[in-house]
Amino acid sequence: MPILEGRGVSVAFGGLSALRGVDVAIEEREVVGLLGPNGSGKSTLFNVLGGLLRPTSGEVWFRGQRITGGPPWVAGRLGIGRTFQIPRPFAGLSVLDSVLVGVTFRTRHRYRRAADRRAEAERLLGLVGLADKAGARAAALSLGEMKRLELAVALSSRPALLLLDELASGLSPKGREEVVLFYARLRERGMTIFAVEHSFGLLAQVADRMLVLDQGQIVVDGPPPAVLASPRVAAAYLGEEER
Amino acid sequence: MRSGLAALLGMGVLAAVPPALGFHPYYLFLLSTAFLLAAVASAWNLLAYAGPISFGHAAFFGLGAYGAALASLGGLSPWGAIALGGLAGAAGAAGVGLLSIRLRGAYLALGTLACAELLRGLALIWSEVTGGGAGLAGIPALPVLPWLPRVLTEGRAGAYYLALALLGAALGLFALIRRSRVGLAFAALREEEERASLLGLRPLPWTLLAFALSGLVTALCGGLYAHVVRVVEPDLVFSRHYSILPLVMATFGGLHTLLGPAAAAIALYLLSELVLHPLLPALHQVGYALALIAVILYLPGGLAGLRRGGRRAHP
Repeated sequence: MPILEGRGVSVAFGGLSALRGVDVAIEEREVVGLLGPNGSGKSTLFNVLGGLLRPTSGEVWFRGQRITGGPPWVAGRLGIGRTFQIPRPFAGLSVLDSVLVGVTFRTRHRYRRAADRRAEAERLLGLVGLADKAGARAAALSLGEMKRLELAVALSSRPALLLLDELASGLSPKGREEVVLFYARLRERGMTIFAVEHSFGLLAQVADRMLVLDQGQIVVDGPPPAVLASPRVAAAYLGEEER
Repeated sequence: MRSGLAALLGMGVLAAVPPALGFHPYYLFLLSTAFLLAAVASAWNLLAYAGPISFGHAAFFGLGAYGAALASLGGLSPWGAIALGGLAGAAGAAGVGLLSIRLRGAYLALGTLACAELLRGLALIWSEVTGGGAGLAGIPALPVLPWLPRVLTEGRAGAYYLALALLGAALGLFALIRRSRVGLAFAALREEEERASLLGLRPLPWTLLAFALSGLVTALCGGLYAHVVRVVEPDLVFSRHYSILPLVMATFGGLHTLLGPAAAAIALYLLSELVLHPLLPALHQVGYALALIAVILYLPGGLAGLRRGGRRAHP
């Protein structure tokens, strides 16, 4: 049984269809990449799967529970973690406190002692290379650091599934290399990941399977080499005439 | 933290001195009122720490005042009556907090203002219970506690020390919450509610808790005020002053800080009553408006922003 499943998900904003009957299933411990041109509906799909947006029609199931349309805290408690394309930090909190929120209020693997919660938060900051920024205000971080904090915050609730929305976008080549390493580390830990990235090359390095979304529909679903060879992908990215 | 605690204790000791020095009862009354306003500003700040901005704290002050007055006139001891008024304020505040299910930001703030006005109107027309516009008079004075020196609980000095104790309790509650898991939840929801929700935090119960705690402290101040002035009227205890002044004082002193709102409340109130009132009797409250404008334009962090250093970590 898939850990996360979207069945016939459609979203319309007024007369504009952002998603049109999308079926998506993510298996336990699978790393799945989601590609698509700007405006193809990637973030909308993530918002629906993460409980932030109620679809116009269709259903979302997580570990056998129907979570369609939220509220988001239900998805969070059940084990869905999420990062945002544009980081949404707890701006007024310190970096350490930002991670402590998830560590303190998570529903699995809770720590009773404050010292243990702090140690766990520091461990997560170490994992993303922000240990030396623990006392800084989250709002004062650079974009690359904020992206890393996004990941640490998403991991802080000990999720079973991570929805990663363009973790590498806007980063320097070195930052993108670090993102590939993060993916590798998470994969080693058996984390289930559904990730949006703009770079096919980056996703091809880390994903077991890739989906391509175009004009609100999944047009290709397969392993990276098959997706690369697909004429539908070229059509989606380059347009019909350039094929 | 230690230096803050030492400063707090020092101020507490200093504040305990005026009655012993034989201050004129009028000045003791002014200081008592300043302490009560400081406690309300601190309570307002506690709610703001969780995110919601209130334009309607007069609702909780008035609920506490009327609740305590009615209970006291009904035969309950004034101490029990003040506690009951506090609970009425907490329950009423939690009820107002339910508005947060549908409203956020400025809309929620306007909703709190509407609730305060609604309660003031109710107190005016429900004359069988509230006494209508004339209010309730003859509220018993606070009794002398046999196990405390008479100077601490009798007359103006008694009211002074009780207001000071209530201010200490309000500050203590805020300090305790800010360093606890509750404070972490409040701060996370204030900074990024959707992000916090995705980590499993359900916003509504925390918001209701913030409203209830803020309402409790404000209503206890209302109950004490009712037993000091021994009369409650809708236009007195549901006055918009108790909605607007805490907002101005907390913003001027420094939102979300421990001592800023209380210090600003005492300073602004005394400045208004002792300096501006004699000079400009009709316009003495213009000081509050100028203070708010100055903070918005030149000092977004309030007075506390001038000396704010690093932030503490939650346990």
